[in-house]
Amino acid sequence: MESWCGLQATEGQHDGIIVRGLVKRFGRILAVDNLDLDVEPGSVVGFLGHNGAGKTTSMRMICGVLPPTRGSIRVGGHDLQANPSGAAGIIGYLPEGSPLYPELRVLEYLRFRSRLYSLQDPVGSIDRAVDRCGLRDVVTRPIGQLSRGYRQRVGLAAAILHDPAVLVLDEPTSGLDPLQVIEVRQLIEELSEDRTILLSTHVLQEVEAICDRVILLARGRLVAQGDLASLRSEAGMESASLEDLFVSLTAKAFSSGGSVS
Amino acid sequence: MRTCSAIAGRDFRSFFLFPSGYVVIALFLLGNSIVFMGDVFVQGQPATMRSIFDFDVVLLLFLCPAVTMRSVCEERRLGTLELIAASPASTTSFIVGKFLSALASLIVILLPTLVLVMLLEVYGQPDYGEIASGYLGLLLVGSMYLSSGILASVVSGSQTIAYLLSVFFFVLLSLGREALPGWIGPDAWSVIKPFDPFLRMQDFTIGLVDSSNVLFFILLTSWFLLASIAVLETERRS
Repeated sequence: MESWCGLQATEGQHDGIIVRGLVKRFGRILAVDNLDLDVEPGSVVGFLGHNGAGKTTSMRMICGVLPPTRGSIRVGGHDLQANPSGAAGIIGYLPEGSPLYPELRVLEYLRFRSRLYSLQDPVGSIDRAVDRCGLRDVVTRPIGQLSRGYRQRVGLAAAILHDPAVLVLDEPTSGLDPLQVIEVRQLIEELSEDRTILLSTHVLQEVEAICDRVILLARGRLVAQGDLASLRSEAGMESASLEDLFVSLTAKAFSSGGSVS
Repeated sequence: MRTCSAIAGRDFRSFFLFPSGYVVIALFLLGNSIVFMGDVFVQGQPATMRSIFDFDVVLLLFLCPAVTMRSVCEERRLGTLELIAASPASTTSFIVGKFLSALASLIVILLPTLVLVMLLEVYGQPDYGEIASGYLGLLLVGSMYLSSGILASVVSGSQTIAYLLSVFFFVLLSLGREALPGWIGPDAWSVIKPFDPFLRMQDFTIGLVDSSNVLFFILLTSWFLLASIAVLETERRS
């Protein structure tokens, strides 16, 4: 693991996410290859890439679920390796598919999460999360009986329960119908007003609608990062759609075997 | 400690939200009642729960893994283990929380059998010291079964495999203790004999609380829990 002290001197420090030289190997498979990325505080960053590009693995490492093979991660000013519990307290994580306990009622689940994070004011925190995620009508219902959209909302409510400065959302709109997608997208936009959000998605319109910047991965490597205008300009595709830009950048990365910006 | 109690509380609550929890309680009470009516509640017999406790050691061998088989592999299947890993809860508090929940469930399973003790009180003069010793023994041997069940749930990918692993381990141990003295001879058996949990349980059923027996079960339970923590921690770090 590289020393974070060295990075601090050269890279500065902020309350967002700073990743340097991140590598993850599963046996002989290189899932993430020397990844550097920055998510500025208060920004919404879209994490893009084809299936198997390393998005979920990277997000799991950023949330402390998986240990990196090499590299350093700093979230909200906390070095993830030196102070994992400190970092866990300021990250809200919504894994892909929003895993929940179907047998519990929404309120029971949120109470459990509030105890897990040792919240000082669990009742107030649950109230705020329930209101913010529009769950007031379903708090007494078993999670297993809720629609996919509501389950996603429960996952989001649990993720923001401890008022984290950083939200990491892995495909938050995956599997939802168009109406539910709009609801969840609006919710993410509301949540982005006062926190840093890193979200992975395959829906490129979503990126254009809510993200300030994008990070594009291919084969575990960083292909491009920046705002859409600058990426278009760098690729010489000013008038291209995001789909065309995504395909072009990914194809370049596959053909060159490395980063294009 | 708070995260540990949060995990224990959620697990304990879930135990009663699935039919399997009630089936385990009902089966345990049914088995106990049959033995009680056939072997204990007979005119002229001493007012003792010995045969119940002897039976329960075997019955718990099959029921305790049913309590713990969901504990970790279900979290892994649902994906909620990922949420726990991303939370401030440590692997130790997760496993200890799982164990405390299972132990609380075991106490709930044992509680209805106190009705049988009350019947003994009505129709005879039971020795409460012996009965308390028997229940202590059941809690200790049950803790051993539960902790081994948690380890089985940590290492296996499905509830069924977790159940079978835990049951077969103790069934083989039980069969082995019958056959082993003949195979290895009395001298070698005398060395292994102190490690026989079923033999140690027999002391509790006759009302003998030996501190070495108590320590034996506590150490064995701790070993299974530590092994569970080590395996899960290794998995998280790989």
